[in-house]
Amino acid sequence: MDYNVTVIGSGPGGYVAAIRCAQLGFKTAIIEKYDTLGGTCLNVGCIPSKAMLDSTEHFHNALHNFKEHGIDINEPKANLPQMIKRKVGVVKANVDGIAFLMKKNKIDVHTGVGSFVDKNTIKITGKDGKEKTITTEKVIIATGSKPTPLPFAPFDKKRIISSTEALEITEMPKTMIIIGGGVIGMELGSVYARIGVKVTVVEFLDSLIATMDGTMGKELLKSAKKLGMEFYLGHKVTGLQNTGKEVVLKAEDKSGKTIELKGDYCMVSIGRRPYTDGLGLDKVGIELDRGRIPVDDHLKTKVDNIYAIGDVVSGAMLAHKAEEEGTLVAEQMAGQKPHINYLLIPGVVYTWPEVASVGYTEEQLKTDNRAYKVGSFPYKALGRARASMDVDGLVKVLADKNTDEILGVHIFGARAADMIAAAVTAMEFRASAEDVSRMSHAHPTYMEAVREACLAATANRPIHL
Amino acid sequence: MAQQVKVPAVGESITEVTIANWLKKDGDFVKQDEVIAELESDKATFELPAPQAGILKIIKKAGEVVPIGTAICEVQDSAGAPAAKSEPAKSEPAKSEAKAAAPTTAAAPKATGGVKEMKVPAVGESITEVTISTWLKKDGDFVNLDDIIAEVESDKATFELPAEATGILRIVAKEKTTLPIGGLICRIEIAEGAAAPAKTSAPAAKTETSTSANYASGHPSPAAAKILDEKGISSGAVSGSGVGGRITKEDAVNAEAKKESKPATQQSTASAQAAVPAIAGGRNIRREKMTSLRKTIAKRLVAVKNETAMLTTFNEVDMKPVMDLRSKYKDQFKEKYGVGLGFMSFFTKAVCAALKEFPAVNASIDGDEIVYHDYCDVSIAVSTPRGLVVPVIRNAELLTMNQVEAEVIRLATRGRDGKLSIDEMTGGTFSITNGGVFGSMMSTPIINPPQAAILGMHNIVERPVVVGGQVVVRPMMYLALSYDHRIIDGRESVSFLVRVKQMLEDPGRLILGV
Repeated sequence: MDYNVTVIGSGPGGYVAAIRCAQLGFKTAIIEKYDTLGGTCLNVGCIPSKAMLDSTEHFHNALHNFKEHGIDINEPKANLPQMIKRKVGVVKANVDGIAFLMKKNKIDVHTGVGSFVDKNTIKITGKDGKEKTITTEKVIIATGSKPTPLPFAPFDKKRIISSTEALEITEMPKTMIIIGGGVIGMELGSVYARIGVKVTVVEFLDSLIATMDGTMGKELLKSAKKLGMEFYLGHKVTGLQNTGKEVVLKAEDKSGKTIELKGDYCMVSIGRRPYTDGLGLDKVGIELDRGRIPVDDHLKTKVDNIYAIGDVVSGAMLAHKAEEEGTLVAEQMAGQKPHINYLLIPGVVYTWPEVASVGYTEEQLKTDNRAYKVGSFPYKALGRARASMDVDGLVKVLADKNTDEILGVHIFGARAADMIAAAVTAMEFRASAEDVSRMSHAHPTYMEAVREACLAATANRPIHL
Repeated sequence: MAQQVKVPAVGESITEVTIANWLKKDGDFVKQDEVIAELESDKATFELPAPQAGILKIIKKAGEVVPIGTAICEVQDSAGAPAAKSEPAKSEPAKSEAKAAAPTTAAAPKATGGVKEMKVPAVGESITEVTISTWLKKDGDFVNLDDIIAEVESDKATFELPAEATGILRIVAKEKTTLPIGGLICRIEIAEGAAAPAKTSAPAAKTETSTSANYASGHPSPAAAKILDEKGISSGAVSGSGVGGRITKEDAVNAEAKKESKPATQQSTASAQAAVPAIAGGRNIRREKMTSLRKTIAKRLVAVKNETAMLTTFNEVDMKPVMDLRSKYKDQFKEKYGVGLGFMSFFTKAVCAALKEFPAVNASIDGDEIVYHDYCDVSIAVSTPRGLVVPVIRNAELLTMNQVEAEVIRLATRGRDGKLSIDEMTGGTFSITNGGVFGSMMSTPIINPPQAAILGMHNIVERPVVVGGQVVVRPMMYLALSYDHRIIDGRESVSFLVRVKQMLEDPGRLILGV
């Protein structure tokens, strides 16, 4: 056998699995279809979208908030091509970093489409059509996901686009329609709204970011409206057409009332589908279950030496979830027994203010008939937030009514994405709300809002409210 | 408050134990569930955990023989005094916490403050540990007294665990963890209907939860969970030193040190293994924790070797008559009774007839007495995915051939499904094992105590034998009888085996009793 372990796909799940395998002494290969490593996350997902979010947020601040801070400047202009150029640089630095890590860990990188010949043999077809095969004892499938198209309006990549193309636009559009008010729709929607594009979001459900705690969706809706975004919630898209010069969208609400929207672009962000095309799963007898690769608790497929992680298996399609799974599989192969607590995988939306969540939502606790307490604390009452003018926000802590154990933490506000890690730590150790409130939090910080919300949850006794 | 520690009921036939060893000295401070003494019964040695934290006061000395139920020591609850001694800084925040939290406790009217700790009951002789197979109630669920809250598996059977109190369930041992008898399974925060507790009881309740149990007691940190799992130690078996009894990484690292006699080498091999998985040359080794079943088997087999005077006598049997009879009637038999006619019924019936003639082979030793059985409860060895189990065919001497076959199938199926009850596996008076199904030509089976003998069947091979001066080919099987020479003499054992041979070679004798 050429390798102990071969990883197919070099996204955050795949490359982390490969590095962990190499660290554990396995001879490891990684196969990537594209020329650069890093998968969706680094190339067309998390990283480039954050680059654009940061650039446009700076622009937004310069335009709206500098004056209040006492910075007088000429009216700034958004330079979209420069933003995209900077984004490209950020992506390159990151993917080059992965290439370096592969070299450092002596992981062989094979570029091309990996496809099973049998359970121990993988054929790699390069872009030039050249084929080679490698043999391997074990395989980790980490091929990720692709944007789901509308069944009646496939991506034409010109005006009907996915998030991938939305990160490549260099000519400033005037109007953009976004189908789907989930994480991707809201993040890229705010990117374009901040630089002056008229953004309209059409969402089938009655709330935004519907899988998160209901309060989060409501707060996000309020702040997005402040940005000038328009919303059609509870609307089902019935037609979408690229007329050449613009897109025309038809939708209807629950009562059957129809609307028609026109825009320069329509970004379809209604979800992502697991990507297994060309993998040759039939060669090893793996059948998909609603598009996903079925795995057991150890992320093993029905074939003994083949594992699958990340977006191709069930669970949240999140880079950090895939990373945990990559680590878990690698360590299991070395005879270790790691755990993943799926409840405590945080979810983040990188709008500004940000949204971050971990644990149960209030809706879930209600459904489960759990006895719980809620404590929340607004950013408005936080000295740190006032100082920076980021007063839109709140922290909501859900705790067990009897034991005071923290069951969920939901943050809408500046820096929520980084703050949620503290909540994960507390919950991994099964801290009570009072535990957190009894730990010293530096003043003045945003994290004080978490502490105050914990005080509110434990016995409704916040200090600064 | 002082709590007396009494000798627990450790098994149905055990009436007294010897205090083998005090692991803690009189006056020592002991932690809850810390092992304080080793007790020895005639069947096994077991460990005695402290029921609560406090100062140990020894009543009975090492070496004394005491009946079940005798108080052998007291543990004086010192209400956190030693904690204050070792970490004086802690006491003040603890106090203020109690004060601050008082309103919370008052706001939750359900709890009475009492906590019932449910421990693994002694479920049968020779069972020293069990595995929690399924939790039927969730952590935090309200349970009523005697509600079935979990299914527990021993090496012999699965049984249900009823709640020992009414209240809120706090699970300590997760599913699939293995606990020793007496190990902490869960806690029930006792609730008395919806009655609000008296005001005075609120601070008392808080004090108790802060010193002993709470919902997070025994919760391992992420790193600790991984380490414990790799060591195959259940979190219930580790006492947490972290805040509120949480299991820290250090607790998990040390968990093994307590168990193993040579922690240093053990640990270094473990870490070396993790760092360099030598897979390249296929020189992998794998360490797996022995299952309860495996451990019991290991312990009992060694015990038999050591405690009996076991030896084996052999014979061979010409299987042609049985095989002829079988091929002649197997279809009719199947049609009539719905079960196939196998060899087991012939062997079982032949054995029963021979046991009647040689009652010592069907006896057992109990102390200074020999127990003779007027019935034949024949244990049959069944290989299951979990290991070997030995269910019993009751009163085999009264069963017809088809009844024996039906019973064999029933027991084997239940064995394979892991459904055999302890009752179905205890009390056999004689055993039959068939190594032939795996191709064994000849072996010396080992006695299944407290029985005195076991018959080993082997594979049937065509061999040249001399019949009436002629060399002919016959389907032959070697028979082995291992027996306890303490109560069975050579004459009896050999004659017994010859009788079995005779009846198999001439099944007509089975009918005539000659």
